[in-house]
Amino acid sequence: MANLQDVLAPDVGGDEVEVIEILVSTGDEVAAEDSLITVESDKASMDIPAPFAGVVAELAVKVGDKIKEGDLLARFEAAAAEAEQEAEAEAEPAAESAAEAAAPADKQGESAPEPAASSAAGSSEIIDVVVPDIGDAGEVDVIEILVSAGDEIAAEDGLITLETDKATMDVPSPQAGVIEEVLVNTGDKVKQGSLVARLKVVSAEPKQESAPAEAAAPASAADPAPAATEQSSEPRKPPVPDHPLDKKQQTEGLAYASPAVRRLANEFGVDLTQVKGSGRKSRILKEDVQDYVKYELSRPKATAGAATAGSGGLQVIAPPQVDFSKFGEIEEVPLTRIQKISGPNLHRNWVTIPHVTQFDEADITELEAFRKQENAAQAKQKDGVKITPLVFIMKAVAKALQAYPVFNSSLHSDGEHLIMKKYIHIGIAVDTPGGLVVPVIRDVDKKGIYQLSEELLEVSARARDGKLKAQDMQGGCFSISSLGGIGGTAFTPIVNAPDVAILGVSKSEMKPKWDGQSFQPRLMLPLSLSYDHRVIDGAVAARFSVYLSSVLSDIRKLVL
Amino acid sequence: MSKEITTQVVVLGGGPGGYSAAFRAADLGLDAVIVERYNTLGGVCLNVGCIPSKALLHLAKHMEDAKHMAAEGITFAEPKIDLDKIRAHKEKVIGQLTGGLSQMAKMRKAQVVNGTGEFVSDKQLKVTDAEGNETLINFEHAIIAAGSQSIKLPFVPHDDERIWDSTAALELRFIPKRMLILGGGIIGLEMGTVYSALGAQVDVVEMTDQLIPPADKDVMKAYMKMIKSKFDNIMLNTKAAKVEAKKDAIHVTFEGDNAPDKPVKYDAVLVAVGRAPNGAKLGAENAGVKVTERGFIEVDKQLRTNVNNIFAIGDIIGQPMLAHKAVHEGHVAAEVIAGKKHFFDPKVIPSIAYTDPELAWAGLTEKEAKAQGIDYEVAVFPWSASGRAIAQGATDGMTKLLFDKHNRIIGGATVGPNAGELLGEIGLAIEMGCDAEDIALTVHAHPTLHESIGLAAEVFEGSITDLPNKKAVKKAKK
Repeated sequence: MANLQDVLAPDVGGDEVEVIEILVSTGDEVAAEDSLITVESDKASMDIPAPFAGVVAELAVKVGDKIKEGDLLARFEAAAAEAEQEAEAEAEPAAESAAEAAAPADKQGESAPEPAASSAAGSSEIIDVVVPDIGDAGEVDVIEILVSAGDEIAAEDGLITLETDKATMDVPSPQAGVIEEVLVNTGDKVKQGSLVARLKVVSAEPKQESAPAEAAAPASAADPAPAATEQSSEPRKPPVPDHPLDKKQQTEGLAYASPAVRRLANEFGVDLTQVKGSGRKSRILKEDVQDYVKYELSRPKATAGAATAGSGGLQVIAPPQVDFSKFGEIEEVPLTRIQKISGPNLHRNWVTIPHVTQFDEADITELEAFRKQENAAQAKQKDGVKITPLVFIMKAVAKALQAYPVFNSSLHSDGEHLIMKKYIHIGIAVDTPGGLVVPVIRDVDKKGIYQLSEELLEVSARARDGKLKAQDMQGGCFSISSLGGIGGTAFTPIVNAPDVAILGVSKSEMKPKWDGQSFQPRLMLPLSLSYDHRVIDGAVAARFSVYLSSVLSDIRKLVL
Repeated sequence: MSKEITTQVVVLGGGPGGYSAAFRAADLGLDAVIVERYNTLGGVCLNVGCIPSKALLHLAKHMEDAKHMAAEGITFAEPKIDLDKIRAHKEKVIGQLTGGLSQMAKMRKAQVVNGTGEFVSDKQLKVTDAEGNETLINFEHAIIAAGSQSIKLPFVPHDDERIWDSTAALELRFIPKRMLILGGGIIGLEMGTVYSALGAQVDVVEMTDQLIPPADKDVMKAYMKMIKSKFDNIMLNTKAAKVEAKKDAIHVTFEGDNAPDKPVKYDAVLVAVGRAPNGAKLGAENAGVKVTERGFIEVDKQLRTNVNNIFAIGDIIGQPMLAHKAVHEGHVAAEVIAGKKHFFDPKVIPSIAYTDPELAWAGLTEKEAKAQGIDYEVAVFPWSASGRAIAQGATDGMTKLLFDKHNRIIGGATVGPNAGELLGEIGLAIEMGCDAEDIALTVHAHPTLHESIGLAAEVFEGSITDLPNKKAVKKAKK
């Protein structure tokens, strides 16, 4: 029952975005939520996930194409998956929602698997409208209700307006219909998945029902409990702070201001739709623009992709503009995609987290002796795996995280709580030709040295080939950046928010150590532990560091 | 002989846009050089466009007015027309303005290099004068203000003495007995008005269903009522299919709804079907400046082309091809070069047909508002209710305003004598974001024609007392 289904582009948050990478190829089997392509707008780049599972039968876009919402991206052969879904749906509609990936359980279960029947008749049904992925971990305010019960609306009409610290946005209706009931009020706080309204839908064209329409809508609502935590620990892709003039196109003509005031606003890059006018009938006066600029300058800015508490802006002067060509030959090289994405993240982390770095050395003489012995034994076996010091460090860090759980936490966005994690996933910084990426190894505490070695090998290889999926880089609790293979004595790694600490590893070196009677040659491994001082006290950090060193010095402690 | 000069800003073209840009640049402390093909500054507008046509329209208007006074009790003798003297008057007007310009250029130390400019690179422009002398200009910034020229039609024998473009028509070579205006736009109608007053029988042929196609139907209705008498035969929905220059006359064959059966003989034909930009003639490709197929140069809101140090303004960047648009663009381009963060950001660019009567509009027309799906309301004040209009025999005029759903003015049009002079208030009102109440509450002097704008706003507000008031409170029947 091969059944080709269209995969359409979801709301990509702008007019047109450029496809910069294709992550699957024809014949690939993909699960729901697997990334299909990467697109880049002027503000950010994002992966577009598969709305449902299937086999890629055809790709309709290529790198460099411009796409917008509703464009055909690919066709999936979804026969197998669908049959399975159908069977499950009948038995247990609720449990099936996760697999279906489409969103809030039952009503989707009804509409998606049996398209023809429900739609051809033009029957009506009531569906729940929930807050889609709003690109922010926390809760946001409802500032306006745009519809009321009984209103007839078209698909994509705004229902309510939300305001985050970065922007205001409307929650669109997923389908056309009549509003049955509005379930929120102005001033309410909502988050992804919150119920907004009930909508009476009269299903019309069967072809629209066939899946992508719904599936594309609130992409990743999945099941709330574990997934939600995972999402919050994942650093959001940073929208590059947008220039006020970007929005000008759409709002032009609405501002109630004279030419001189508009000129002043242009000079400051002020979006006049954001300025409140104090003149007669709310006309915007020059003073209003000046006041707005003063206010904006004095106000702490929400930095790009702020996911942690207390993110504030810094008022700094612009870097000097230097014409380097005056001093010699130069060449302009574009930043890589990864650099462009990670840059704002690193910058935010560096300026918003009060960093302290604790330096220490671990005596790994015995560890190395044991490792070499094991590798020698492995080398004799047919499919032996070579183990690296890094795997031991990961194990030791996992042990230390258990001993000092504050290192395995994140600061709550309310600034008043810590989120303690009961799992230990560790991010490993990998240097790739495209730039630095941090794949995450899960449940390090529960895995053995060999299993970790294999996983690490596999994930690093994929990282270097640029084949990491978004999920591979999500959910980390703590990161390790090892430059040991290259050299150096110490460095100050930058904490990867929302983590609260990161371990930097430099090159081990044989050093003379006093054993009480004489100097002994010991192999010492330099460790640099950067941590968020808002969460971790210096003394705790020192203890963590000492504990980590002691485990590395005597790996028998790993089994205690 | 070739020489070389170096400047901060070179402006290619000395028309209203070009000289304004250069003067503004000079006033902001920059070295500016103007490259101009002709010997005088001012471009088409001053030399062969807006200004000379107005000098002639002024004469036409007085002849017409004198004629009409017979009905009111004053009869003048038939006018005597001395074409040489008229021409001299026109030249004097031009000379006064262009002379003033060259004075102002000198005062500002803005050098004028005469000749045809062509880009060598994005840093150099080569100017060749009539004798073949070359000047190489090294520049930091360039502003392209090279304008446009009349479109020539492939089936028209343009090299015949009797086939005119607007420039030729302004030369007043002779007064044709029968004249055809090919194209019912503003330029054609203005020249037609002049020649009609001078005694020619003028026909107009227009492909679309109305003269001055952008204007609204109701406005055109009032306009046509007054303009009709100036022309012999206005052929709408009709085109000239064949134009043959024969010894006795130009024979024109028409096709369309109002086409005469047989070819018509004319002593002169004015081709006024629009203007084409001069983008393809500048060697723009040598500077890397993109020129569209039609010869336009695309710019951003700061008038910058795709090449960072090269700007473009005026006709060459797009419609409307109007001097006042170019002047403002020229200022912004110069200011941007001088480091100011300015943008060309007007809400309206007014348009005026200086015919008799005048037709003027600014902002949105009703057609445009409809096309853009804007919720609007129209308020009209007919001049038949204006004391001043009645006193001067202009009762067919009208003033029409468009307001959006916030009662804010978004457009306006006026028809009648001096209609163009009334437009200033409408433009200012739109730029300032006035609503109907603001305009209605502004005390307009009485009796004037501009009063009609305040009264149209009162119509909208429902406070009008000079007309029956549709919005008046209905009283219960007694």
